[in-house]
Amino acid sequence: MNETTERIKLRNFMDGSEGWGREQGRKVYPALLDFVEGRPGVMVFKVSLEGVKRIDISFASETIVELARRFRGNKGFCFVDLADADVAENWDAAASRKAQPLMSWSHGKARALGVSPSQGTLGAFEFALQRPRTRAAEFAAATQGMSIANASTKFKQLWEQGFLLRREDVAESGGVEYSYYRIG
Amino acid sequence: MDCNIQLPPRWVNAEALEDALRSAGPGPHGAVTTGFSFPIGCRVMIDAAVRLLSLCNQLDASTSRVRLDFEEGESGVMGYLSRMGFFDELSRNTEVMPSWPSISGAEVHAGSNPGLVEVARINHRARDQALPGRLTDAVVRACGRRRDAKDLGGAAFTVFAELIDNVFSHSETPLDGYAALQVYPKGDSLQVAVSDSGLGIMQTLRPAMKTQYPSLAHLSDTALLVEVFRQGLSRHGADRGCGLQGSAAKAIKYRADLDVRLPNTRVVLKPGKGGYQPATAHCHEHLPLIWGTHICFTFRLD
Repeated sequence: MNETTERIKLRNFMDGSEGWGREQGRKVYPALLDFVEGRPGVMVFKVSLEGVKRIDISFASETIVELARRFRGNKGFCFVDLADADVAENWDAAASRKAQPLMSWSHGKARALGVSPSQGTLGAFEFALQRPRTRAAEFAAATQGMSIANASTKFKQLWEQGFLLRREDVAESGGVEYSYYRIG
Repeated sequence: MDCNIQLPPRWVNAEALEDALRSAGPGPHGAVTTGFSFPIGCRVMIDAAVRLLSLCNQLDASTSRVRLDFEEGESGVMGYLSRMGFFDELSRNTEVMPSWPSISGAEVHAGSNPGLVEVARINHRARDQALPGRLTDAVVRACGRRRDAKDLGGAAFTVFAELIDNVFSHSETPLDGYAALQVYPKGDSLQVAVSDSGLGIMQTLRPAMKTQYPSLAHLSDTALLVEVFRQGLSRHGADRGCGLQGSAAKAIKYRADLDVRLPNTRVVLKPGKGGYQPATAHCHEHLPLIWGTHICFTFRLD
């Protein structure tokens, strides 16, 4: 599977450099949705906030957070240049309200905004973040005392909760095997 | 019947305005003429000014006559209100003594006083997309010497944007709302006030309580209001309501007091450990009617 990523520059969908309020967010959302649906082969959208001066929580909720929730498990959205702590706080608050994780990458490291993985799945999540694609068997092999079934359960939970993406592959045995992808 | 409201000869904040309204009996709504007297030495803080402005325009819209009597004329509080743009927004039917200001002080002084910004209109029919940013830029200008001016600006933007958006979403009134801020350098505080003349938060939230939040439906208005800011409640359900909650979360970093005036109730929330708490809320009920929702955050800048 040759999955691709694409950059979304949020500012290009806004009238100005400041985004606030549900009404403005709802005007921006359909254009974002068109952009995403127009790229069916793209699995991960890297959101750039270049040129966006300020956003409030309601605007955040109606735009990228809503998009991430809509495509949860199927397509992923992450920030690649979220440097402003105050703005990050607003994305975090909006994502938290919708229980939707949003990844933010900086210098090769990721952090989840909105919600954090549970203690039980944290190890599997950190393992998955270190590689673009992984399988339960790989995590089980690398983790002492971890069965493939247990690893598979953890990855499935992370996928359902929106922390990872998943694709169905054919295993060497001929059966179905899932590959899990980090968002970013 | 006339209603005469005598303001005190000192700084008038929201509290002092309430005291003056209460001392005038049943209140101005229903009176044929309502007079407000501003004696020598009276100064009006921004939280009281926007509430007073909303109240005057409400009374005018309900066909009451309104008279403002400034004992000191333009050399006193009248000049101060003029500079903030009070008279630009006041209904022209209002009688002003000794006379209406000849020119708008806000136009003359616009931008020249870093501690004061004009009262800004929130017009339902023409959403001013730049409004929260303009008000925020004024905060950053006024607090430019502070190390945390940028962070303070970020917090102010969220508070303004969410409160103003709330006016558009909830107030359902033909009357304009108002947003204002003032930095008080001597008091080391910043006041951010947003006022509308529509339905109060409770009028829009209460009908949805039984379906959206049945476990909270029994709460008093005061307790419910605390939860609006603490955990975020919305008539639209659990994945909404983050705006006012987020505003409070930003303001609490600056140990901001939160003052909310509803049609007959006023609740003052003091920051405590873990945010605003019902136990430390001061509630005033059975107040003279002022339509709408009037919210003021007072940030501490020391």
